[in-house]
Amino acid sequence: MIELINVQSLTTIQDLGRYGYQKFGIPVSGVMDEVSARLANYLVGNHDNAPLIEFVLKGPTIRFHSSAVFAVAGNVDVRLNGIPIEPWQSHWAKRGDVLEIGALKSGVYGYIAFAGGILCDKILGSCSTYLRAKLGRALKQGNKLKLGYAILTGKEGKVLPEALIPRYSNESEIKVILGPQLEHFTEKGIETFLSSTYEVTPNSDRMGYRLEGPEIEHSEKGADIITDAIPLGAIQVPANGKPIIMLADRQTTGGYAKIGVVARVDVPKVAQTRAGGKLRFKAINVKEAQELLRKREFLFRNIKRLLDGEVRGYKIKALGEEFMIFVEKEK
Amino acid sequence: MQFKPAGDSALLIIFGDRIDEGINKKVHAVANAIEKASPDWLIEVVPTYTSIYVYYNPLKLSYQEVLDAIKPFLSAEPKEEKPRIVEIPTVYGGEFGPDIEFVAQHNGLTTDDVIEIHSKPLYRVYMLGFTPGFAYLGGMDERIATPRLEKPRLKVPAGSVGIAGKQTGIYPIESPGGWRLIGRTPLRLFTPEKDPPTLLQPGDYVKFIPISEEEFWEIHKREWGEQK
Repeated sequence: MIELINVQSLTTIQDLGRYGYQKFGIPVSGVMDEVSARLANYLVGNHDNAPLIEFVLKGPTIRFHSSAVFAVAGNVDVRLNGIPIEPWQSHWAKRGDVLEIGALKSGVYGYIAFAGGILCDKILGSCSTYLRAKLGRALKQGNKLKLGYAILTGKEGKVLPEALIPRYSNESEIKVILGPQLEHFTEKGIETFLSSTYEVTPNSDRMGYRLEGPEIEHSEKGADIITDAIPLGAIQVPANGKPIIMLADRQTTGGYAKIGVVARVDVPKVAQTRAGGKLRFKAINVKEAQELLRKREFLFRNIKRLLDGEVRGYKIKALGEEFMIFVEKEK
Repeated sequence: MQFKPAGDSALLIIFGDRIDEGINKKVHAVANAIEKASPDWLIEVVPTYTSIYVYYNPLKLSYQEVLDAIKPFLSAEPKEEKPRIVEIPTVYGGEFGPDIEFVAQHNGLTTDDVIEIHSKPLYRVYMLGFTPGFAYLGGMDERIATPRLEKPRLKVPAGSVGIAGKQTGIYPIESPGGWRLIGRTPLRLFTPEKDPPTLLQPGDYVKFIPISEEEFWEIHKREWGEQK
C-alpha cells in the first residue's frame, strides 16, 4: 500500500481508457500521454493498461507502507528518502520510504507506475478517472492506494535507454489527417490552418486544448454541423475560427465542424505542450498515419522485451541518423 | 451513403444530411449489426443523428480493409418493433424549473401552457452523447423554443429539464449549463454501476409526466437513497 502525503496538482489514477461506452455519452478518458504512461508501466514489468498515477506539472509525495517497485516518467527531479534518484528507471522502495517528485522541467503530464499496478474498483471496465461524472476521484493528501500483486525481485534497476526517453518541446509540428468536415472550411481557411503557428492557451485541460492564432475561415456551411462523434485528437473550429484539440476527457459528441484529426502518434506531443507552447500542423494521409503507428508499436513491443530482459538493445549511428536495434538473446 | 476517415482510427459512415427519424433508425440498425458481430478489429461504434463513427484498431486492419469489412452490415434494416416509451416524472417550475416564467413570457404563454405543451409529445431519443446519459431528444413544439442563457449556470442539478433553442433535454449529472430550466425529474439517468449505465437508449421515446413536489421527493428517495 502507498499513501499520498502531499498532493499539489491534479493527480488521478488512469489507465488507457474506458472503451465501449461512448455510445452512452461516457468519455474515454485515460492517460493524456500514452507514450510516457506505457513506458512507465514497462519499466516495472507491467502490461500497457495497468492503472497508474498521472500528475500535472508537479508530482506528489508518497509514503510506502509496504515494499514496492516503482518508476517515474517525466523530466523531473525525484528523491527517495531525500536521495536523488533517476526518472525513467525502476527502483525498489521498502516500507516507510518516502518518494518526492518535483516539478516537471518540460511537458505537462508525469506518471508513476508500480509493479502490479494500482488496485482499483473498475467502473465500466476501467480504472480511468473522469471527474466530471465522478468516475474515480482527484487524489488528495491522506489517500491510501493498494497495489496489485507482483513478484518484485528482479523488477528494480531497469533503465530506459537514453535514446528512447521522450523529449517534449514547446514547439512542435503536429501531423493531422484533414477532415472529416473539410467542406465547412474555405480553401483559404485550410491554408491558414496548415501554414500558421498556433499557441496553446491556459484555457486547456484534460478535455481539450484551446489554441490562439489566425482565424480559420469557414465556408458558407458555417461552423455548426449536425452533432456527431468526436474522435481523440479531433480539431474542432467553432465560429470564432480558433481551433480546439479534443483530448482524453473530451465529450463523446459535439456540434462544431472538425478540420482535422491529430495522428495518434502525435497526440502525446500535443498533450505535453504547455500553455504558451506553439504548434504547427502538417497534413498526412491515413495510410501514412497508420504506418507511423505500426512503427511505433513495433518499437514499443521491443522496448517491452528489452526491459523484460528478452532482447538486448543497441544504439547505432548510420548515415548520420541514430537507430535502436534489438537483438535476441541466446537461449 | 458516404464514407470518410476521421483520423487514423475511425471510419465515419454518413447516412444523410438532416435530422430525420427514418435516417436515424437506419443509423442504429447498422450500428447494432456491427456491434453484434463484434469483429476483433472493432473498438466501438458511436451512432449519432445521421452518422456512425466506427472506431477500429488500425494495427489489425487498415482503413481500406475496414471499408470492406463493414460492407455486409450496411444492408441492416430497422426492426419493426414497438418502441419503448420511458415516462419521465417531472416537477415543473418553482426552484426545480427557475426559468419556466421566462420561457412562458418569451413565447407569450402562461406557465401552465408551457407545462402542457412540453409534456404532450412523445420525444424520440435520437442519440446519447455529450455527457454520460445525455439524450438528444427530437420533437419539441416550437411554440416553447427559447434561446439559451447568456451566461451559463456554474451548477445545474442532475435531473434538470431544460430548453435550448428548439431542443429539450435532461441533465443526467450535475454540471455547468446554459439551458433554460423548466423542471426537474427525480429519476437517475446515469448509474455507472448498472449495465447499460443509462436510463435512456437510442430509439426510445420519452414522455414527460408532470408530478407534484411530494411525489418528486418520494421517487427521489427511491432512486438516489439519501443522496441529494
